[in-house]
Amino acid sequence: MPQFDVHFFSSLIFWEVVSFGILFWVLYKFAFPPILEALETRERKIRDSIEQAEQSRQTAEQRLADYEAKLSGAAQEAEAIVADAKAKAQRLLEENEQRLRTESERIQAETAQEIERERRKALQDIRNEAADLAVTVAEKVLERSLSDDDHRRLAREAVQAVAAGESRK
Amino acid sequence: MENPLHPFELHTIVPLSLFGLDVSINKAVIMMFVVVGVVTLLLTKARSSGSLIPTKLQSVAELLLEFIRGMIHETMGPDGMRFFPLIATLFLFILFSNLLGLIPGAYTVTSQLVVTGAFALGVYTLSLLVGFKIHGVKFLGILVPSGTPAWLLPLMIPIEIISQLARPVSLSVRLFANMTAGHVILGVLFGLSISGGLLIGWLPFSFTVALYGLEVGIAFIQAYIFTILTCVYMGDAFHLH
Repeated sequence: MPQFDVHFFSSLIFWEVVSFGILFWVLYKFAFPPILEALETRERKIRDSIEQAEQSRQTAEQRLADYEAKLSGAAQEAEAIVADAKAKAQRLLEENEQRLRTESERIQAETAQEIERERRKALQDIRNEAADLAVTVAEKVLERSLSDDDHRRLAREAVQAVAAGESRK
Repeated sequence: MENPLHPFELHTIVPLSLFGLDVSINKAVIMMFVVVGVVTLLLTKARSSGSLIPTKLQSVAELLLEFIRGMIHETMGPDGMRFFPLIATLFLFILFSNLLGLIPGAYTVTSQLVVTGAFALGVYTLSLLVGFKIHGVKFLGILVPSGTPAWLLPLMIPIEIISQLARPVSLSVRLFANMTAGHVILGVLFGLSISGGLLIGWLPFSFTVALYGLEVGIAFIQAYIFTILTCVYMGDAFHLH
């Protein structure tokens, strides 16, 4: 095999070492540091960006949760207000009904009493009137036929009768 | 038919000598220069636009370096980043040697056992040095796997020594053999397709097309294997069980 031709070994090794050394020095000096730095900068940037994005996401989620909580709180509050108003309205309604009922009952009762009183008064009046009338008529009828004694007796009787009627009632 | 090993032959182009040592320039050496130039160009161009939003070239370079960084983190942990320049250079050198060697007419530097051997030996020696520097004499404990009963030690220690010594050998031979074999097969199939003529030659030729794709994959995989094994050996030196 030509690779085992010892004649070239020395020059191959020598130039290999030299060229490797040159390449190493050049890359070490000029290429690796900036490229590695660029890599690291980018890595850092990406990591930072991701972290920032994560943070933003968390903030946004927090805010969303807050708003949702507020929203549901508001909804609950509104519900409570509505329920409260309903209950109040119901209570007012019932109170009014109650009041009206008692009022009407009271008026009814008063009216009935009034009517009764009026009725009694009217009856009394009629009775008195009737007695007077009877007395007057009787006087007219009996004016000539009855003596003074008769008059007195009859009047007494009439008075008694009226009194009895009065007391009967 | 042409000798399929012919492409691996080297010929001195510019004879040079340094302190009596033959350092003549040949095709493989020129390829090394090309590799150095291409990698340097790629990475310095990628760097010049080191903006946050990468250009395409920057993306490629960053992808490669990120890949190596991931490899180091997995095998050595974050401490291993000290060796990043070395391991990245190694990876890029081998990767581009493999890839550029696939260009017809070019020479695959890594198909030379001396080249891969020098890399493997250098890396292995470095891992030993690092190990002894960090752990001192205790680093010899690498020869005793954790949980070995005492009476097994006379057996285990020679086995572990052999396995340790096999590391650079397997490392270098794997890369060299893969590169050589791939090119030999490609060469053989090309030879067949040419000598077969139009009548039957299309068949081996279509194989070469498929194999070429495979070779590109192997170029990556072998560079990766070489580098990750380097990382593993370094990691062993770092974190003694």
